[in-house]
Amino acid sequence: MTSETARRRFSEQVLPHLDDAYSLARWLAGDATDAEDIVQEACLRALKALEAAPVERPRPWLLAVVRNAAYTWFARNRPRAIVLAGDAEEAQAHADALETGVSPSPEAALIEAADRASVTTAIDDLPLAFKETLVMREISGLSYRDISEATGVPIGTVMSRLARARTLLIAKLGAAS
Amino acid sequence: MTSFEERDRQLLLHAALDGELDAAGAVEMERMLAADPELAAEYARLKALHKILQTHAPREEASAALRLRAMAMVDPLAPPQREEVKRDWRDPPSWRSFAAAIAATVVMTLGLDRLIATDATPDALTQAVLAAHMRGQISGQPVDVVSSDRHTVKPWLASKLPVAAAVVDLASEGFPLAGGRIDIVAGAGVPTLVYKRREHLISVTELRAGAGAIPATPRRRTLEGYSIIQWSDADRAYEVVSDLAPEELDAFVGAFRSALR
Repeated sequence: MTSETARRRFSEQVLPHLDDAYSLARWLAGDATDAEDIVQEACLRALKALEAAPVERPRPWLLAVVRNAAYTWFARNRPRAIVLAGDAEEAQAHADALETGVSPSPEAALIEAADRASVTTAIDDLPLAFKETLVMREISGLSYRDISEATGVPIGTVMSRLARARTLLIAKLGAAS
Repeated sequence: MTSFEERDRQLLLHAALDGELDAAGAVEMERMLAADPELAAEYARLKALHKILQTHAPREEASAALRLRAMAMVDPLAPPQREEVKRDWRDPPSWRSFAAAIAATVVMTLGLDRLIATDATPDALTQAVLAAHMRGQISGQPVDVVSSDRHTVKPWLASKLPVAAAVVDLASEGFPLAGGRIDIVAGAGVPTLVYKRREHLISVTELRAGAGAIPATPRRRTLEGYSIIQWSDADRAYEVVSDLAPEELDAFVGAFRSALR
């Protein structure tokens, strides 16, 4: 049974950030129905956790809960996606190659001319670790500190993941046009 | 330049873009950008990427169904949620649970109405205003008169109510008027204006001055996941309800109050 305190904490700390929770789940899952399932599970987990104690910084905390729910969901429903996440190291190596390789630097105007479909595909194609970092920063506007808290990695890692995610997007959008 | 230094320069460039540099770092970055056209070109690309992401990958909004399901988890008046909690969430979301969430919310709104009629404490006022906002969202008919023109909404309200509502145009601030409706609060009709921000609705209900204990400076609280901001001036009191992000709702209240002056 849920206590009154947990309900109040949930109303004050979780519900205001539901859009951010959904956005993250939506981009991680790539599908609206799956994203709603993930967010619902995350809400149940959040409610349970709030029973025990309040949280200090609800937004990064909730996104961490959503992220964990998403990864559990992937493990059950899309074992192949999780393999990709586990191979983040390999993906980084791949990104390194791309960064130092011969990829031409497109004009800023070329990037700005990209259409919605190619932007969506480019984000979808990012390795999970890069994608979640990019979504938290560019779409939800979290600070580096918040992203570090939500993803459980040091700020330095957040910065390099973000830089790599952006480099990959720029290369892709520049080449697509 | 070693590749380490180059890498750090790149990371600093991203930090500058993200507003994560302190004043000294920002000045240093400006100097580096002015001196290095290559770096400046990379900065322009990053800015272009940011812009195109804003346009084509905006923040997604949780659907009304999802919001209702989340709210139903903590609805004290909802029937016991055993089925909901035990439900294996790997199943596709069932319409049954959605319907239960709506039913629970409707029961709650109806219940509140009865509460208001007998007991008009300040909190009951706020809950009546919130219930009206929620009912408007659930029914898909948040307004009785649909118009983005305040010269249509104001006379419509004036023809129905004994008070003249203040209707302001905030379209240029990014909050176009969606229309108006009449809510029943403490047994009397009161004017409510509805503004829009993307897909979010903002209800502004005007109450008599001295209704409840509404402070002169805006006060915010969160109820059922909605932000509610209330304040009063010499003649009137206002209650604003929305599921908009708190900072955006603050901006709305700021714009609304300065337009009133």
